[in-house]
Amino acid sequence: MLDPRVSRDIRVQDVTMVYHSHGDSVIALERVNMHVPTGQFASIIGPSGCGKSTLLRLIADILQPHSGQVTLGSDTPRAARHDHALGFVFQSPTLLPWRTVRQNVELPLDVAGRDSTRRSARSTDELIELVGLKGFEKALPHQLSGGMQQRVAIARALVLTPDVLLLDEPFGALDEITRQRMNIEMLRIWAESGTTALLVTHSIGEAIFMSDQVYVMSARPGRIVSVVDVPLPRPRTLDMMRSHVFFDCVNRVRDGLFGKEESTSAMSRPQAAEAY
Amino acid sequence: MPAAMPSIGSRLAAVARPTATLIALLVGLELLKRGGLLPVFVPAPSQVFNEIIASPRLVTANLGPTAFKATVGFFIAMGISVSAGSLAVLLRGAYAPIYNTSVTLNSIPIIATAPLLALWIGTGPQVQIVIATLACQFSMLVGTVQGLRATDARQRELMHVLSASQFQTLRYLLLPSAIPYLFAGFKIAAPAAVLGAVTAEWAGAERGLGAMMLYALFSYDTPKVWLSVLLTCLLAAGGYGIVALAERLVVRHGREVELAD
Repeated sequence: MLDPRVSRDIRVQDVTMVYHSHGDSVIALERVNMHVPTGQFASIIGPSGCGKSTLLRLIADILQPHSGQVTLGSDTPRAARHDHALGFVFQSPTLLPWRTVRQNVELPLDVAGRDSTRRSARSTDELIELVGLKGFEKALPHQLSGGMQQRVAIARALVLTPDVLLLDEPFGALDEITRQRMNIEMLRIWAESGTTALLVTHSIGEAIFMSDQVYVMSARPGRIVSVVDVPLPRPRTLDMMRSHVFFDCVNRVRDGLFGKEESTSAMSRPQAAEAY
Repeated sequence: MPAAMPSIGSRLAAVARPTATLIALLVGLELLKRGGLLPVFVPAPSQVFNEIIASPRLVTANLGPTAFKATVGFFIAMGISVSAGSLAVLLRGAYAPIYNTSVTLNSIPIIATAPLLALWIGTGPQVQIVIATLACQFSMLVGTVQGLRATDARQRELMHVLSASQFQTLRYLLLPSAIPYLFAGFKIAAPAAVLGAVTAEWAGAERGLGAMMLYALFSYDTPKVWLSVLLTCLLAAGGYGIVALAERLVVRHGREVELAD
């Protein structure tokens, strides 16, 4: 199932990002290091304002780091972007409202060229079917629910078989039930694509369920405080969310987010289970 | 799917009320005039109507040329304003010179420039076309610039991640999302083009509503003056109507925009 093309790993080395406003400077990210090996799924979790979206935007070449560097495979983010190697799913679906579902999915093809070598082996129709929107090809975005719109955005991110798939809280606006279903579908799609994926989220359960590694960040300055490996096998199932391994991971992420004593004294295992 | 269409009954009602008001007004005017209660420069509606019956060729011979000149001017202005507006938004340094030129051109009193233009480029229809272009370019430029800038930051980030060129961003994102704003500008521009053409015809034209108006004024033919005023109104409103109709056909995703300035 894996795409024969070599995917890219994500390497972030000593990245610092400073925003200047009104003479003050705010350190958004301080000496951030991370490495997502080729074909793996990693998450960044942290409180609002910890710079996790900023980090994702640095990797997508939307922003430039103040110091340090980001490499995707052997390239800079800019070179990877020009190679159409990036897929980005925003928190809001960010569809073009005058384009039909099919036309939205094909927007990257309009930009890169219909005969782009990156073009997915799947036809647009197959991609639309993959995200569960068969029959809605000619619908306009405003005729779809939020969840369906986000599925269009996912299909659009896959149409040029990205080496690196960046997900900025893509399911944050969805209800819990839809969100869990989308998570499972996202994992299925990711497993088939062989792409390296990085998800920004503030849901502990989602981060662990989806990932091989979870990077836990603190705010002001944005720093990575711990990395939690998730030793759950793939494919992931909802049952795994009740396993001891899962709870261990939840507790380790909580330790990183809230400090060790606070989270362990405040919550026993059964309580943690109820929280997620 | 499409919003519920208004029923035929409610559509009829929407047309019937203004029509009834208009008829009442015309009948009232007619009665006042017959009763000798109106001054000499206000003709009875029947007198204006008689002018049309008496010389239908007067109407067709003058309505057509003005409509033609206004339309050509409108489309020239559309081409120039949309291109210039795009340039103003894409090239940082181009914004101020383009906008300032447009404002300046829009501030020139047409009534004074039309005779000068006639001296420079001759008295044919080209003068009226240029003036019609000048009269409607500003609202189109404002609409274009506002529209091109109205895109969402996320949508621009999307085009960036897709590695789209400036031209591709303009083509796939900026211009399509500007369309409701463009139409807001076009709707103001259409009547302006007609009024510009008519005003320019005052400076010397063989045919056109402006010329008809001028001749009628000089010969104290009040019904004919009012007829030319009426035809100008109809043409200007008709231009607006055509643009509004085109907007309905083009904009499918249910957005309408009013220009702020």
